Amino acid sequence: MSPYPEVVEKIVQDYLQRVVIQLKRFPKSDQAEVLKELGSHIYESYCAGSDSDAVDRILEVLRKLGEPADVVAEKLHESLLNVGKLKKVPLSVLGGIVVGMFGLPLGFAGVAILLGGLGALLGLVAAFFATATLLLVTGVMGMGLGLLRMFNPDLWDHLVAQGFIQFHGRIGQFFDLLSPAAQGGLLVFLFMAVAAAGLGMLWLSKRLLKGLRFLFDLMLDRAKTLFRRRRRNGFVWGSRRFNEVPPEEQPLSESTSYSPIK
Amino acid sequence: MDYLDGEKERRVTQLRKGILELAIMGTLYHEQHYGYSLVRVLMGDGSLSLREGTVYPILTRLDKDGLVRSEWVESDQGPPRKYYSLTAHGRKLFESLMPEFDQLVALVKQSRNGAKSRQNQHLGERILVTKENKA
Repeated sequence: MSPYPEVVEKIVQDYLQRVVIQLKRFPKSDQAEVLKELGSHIYESYCAGSDSDAVDRILEVLRKLGEPADVVAEKLHESLLNVGKLKKVPLSVLGGIVVGMFGLPLGFAGVAILLGGLGALLGLVAAFFATATLLLVTGVMGMGLGLLRMFNPDLWDHLVAQGFIQFHGRIGQFFDLLSPAAQGGLLVFLFMAVAAAGLGMLWLSKRLLKGLRFLFDLMLDRAKTLFRRRRRNGFVWGSRRFNEVPPEEQPLSESTSYSPIK
Repeated sequence: MDYLDGEKERRVTQLRKGILELAIMGTLYHEQHYGYSLVRVLMGDGSLSLREGTVYPILTRLDKDGLVRSEWVESDQGPPRKYYSLTAHGRKLFESLMPEFDQLVALVKQSRNGAKSRQNQHLGERILVTKENKA
């Protein structure tokens, strides 16, 4: 049974309805708690009022209480803070299990792919340098042979007779058409080109190394940033847990005095 | 003039907001209160104008921070009342905050007195200069 006259009751309900609108994001139990407390306040204030006219008195009570949005301001602030938080815990747990079952193996596969990629890259670099060196050595040796053909044909013939130098097929036939000096010149020219290719590759390798170093630094920097961020987040969470105030659930003691205001 | 009044109103509201939390803790330090009785105590003889609903957001915040606890108590004269009291943590915090508050008040008073004495000194100099001029 309402303690107010009908008109006053309507005004009070209207006010409380506006409070409910402000609290629509909250569970019904929270809404009921706030409404119960405000209802109690309005009743106390109404009874203490001195205005003889009931409507004027309740309007004065509500004016002094303030706008519903101001009265539940802290609750609204809390609701804004909660926006974006995970609310469906079972779904989150399920998601965690799925990630654990599939994400981790995929993560290991990812690490394996990364390591494989890095290994392949290192292999390519090694092969590049090996090729460059081989070309350079071959070029130098070939030029030496060309010079030998030009300036010491007897030694050349001796090496050919011993089988150290062999030319077969069309290349051999082509060389037989040329004079010893021309053979030597051609060899020097061809192997000079080979040595130049080796030198060119070595020169390019400086840029290649610079590029690889840049990539490596970039990856290292990303990894450092990620690690630092993880560590910082971990520290904050840890300190929060450490400083958290445990809620006190003890009931109010009977010996404590209650407010004298009735 | 209107602008100055508005500015003053805004500053006063800000000042009260900061101090009201401490005042509520201080009131609950001595005895338990429900919302309406707390408002009555805070407003005292009526010299402090306070929007009554202001206390509820503060009580909610204190409750959330574990500084107060609440309990519904049946009333003979109407609906149940929600009584608030300081928790042990709240009491400890209030005791540590009070000296800080006293220091702040002393600082404000000291600066105000300092300004007054400087003003008097300046006024004295002016009077002296005027007298010398007359002479």
